[in-house]
Amino acid sequence: MEKLIIEATVNSPRIVLNPEEKKFEFSGESRPENVRNFYLPVLEWLEKFSTHQSGLKERERMPALDCLFNFEYFNSTSAKYILDIFKSLNTLNSLGVELDIKWLYEEDDEDMLEVGEEMSRMSKLKFEYVISDN
Amino acid sequence: MLKEEVIIDFRGPISFETMEELLNKLKCAPAFNELRKPVRKRLYGTVVESIDNIYKYAAFNQVDSQGNSRTPLLVVKKQDDIFTVSVGNLVMSDLVDGLKSKLDKVNELDSEELKKLYEEVINKESEEADTGAGLGLITMALRTEVDIEYSFEPVDAGYSFFTMKIDINT
Repeated sequence: MEKLIIEATVNSPRIVLNPEEKKFEFSGESRPENVRNFYLPVLEWLEKFSTHQSGLKERERMPALDCLFNFEYFNSTSAKYILDIFKSLNTLNSLGVELDIKWLYEEDDEDMLEVGEEMSRMSKLKFEYVISDN
Repeated sequence: MLKEEVIIDFRGPISFETMEELLNKLKCAPAFNELRKPVRKRLYGTVVESIDNIYKYAAFNQVDSQGNSRTPLLVVKKQDDIFTVSVGNLVMSDLVDGLKSKLDKVNELDSEELKKLYEEVINKESEEADTGAGLGLITMALRTEVDIEYSFEPVDAGYSFFTMKIDINT
């Protein structure tokens, strides 16, 4: 499947969904004017990707994926869609794709750590919490 | 006399472009940059959510039944070690009860109960969560751990002026 790359703007994150490199990446700030319109193509891409994977035989599926979440800030409406992304990732995980999810937060940023822990709990996915150095 | 510093005092129509300007102004303020990064982000987030809240509930064109315009406002102040974010805008009177009950609810819940409510709301369908299920209010209450002060001043039969004030402890 074609990779999806969305470049960052001052109010929206950079997103890279690259199956070839087995790498998904989200970074930057998320408070776009229309949050739904911004995240819809991402969620649709993930849904297609899952459908594609489920059509393959188990041994032909992607064995593992690196998922990096390096948000500087996201607003509450974006949080809703980020959780939807994790729910899509959970679907992939249930197809046997092993996920290495890293949730980056700045040192002392308890809010970002805490929201990561909530996302992990709600999506039933395991996160590794990593202190970022930006 | 307590020392008070006004960081932003904006009165005027608030569009998405205005929001960018206001956030830039905040980011350039020395009082903002002096804060520890986590507190800075908490203040930044409170300003973003407060402005988002205006979008969600603001009456169209901010004009009351008589056609008088009521200007929205956003004020960020620092007094000693406390930052205060205040926003105000005209809302249609039929929204007042719903908004009031949401505010009362988040103010009355403790941190654990707020987390439960957050989970309940964030898992609702997108459309529902977008249009005023109050995720922004819950997030602000969770982060700041203080009550959100608010008032509704009736303007006429159709409209009220809503103000909301949140403190951020440094």
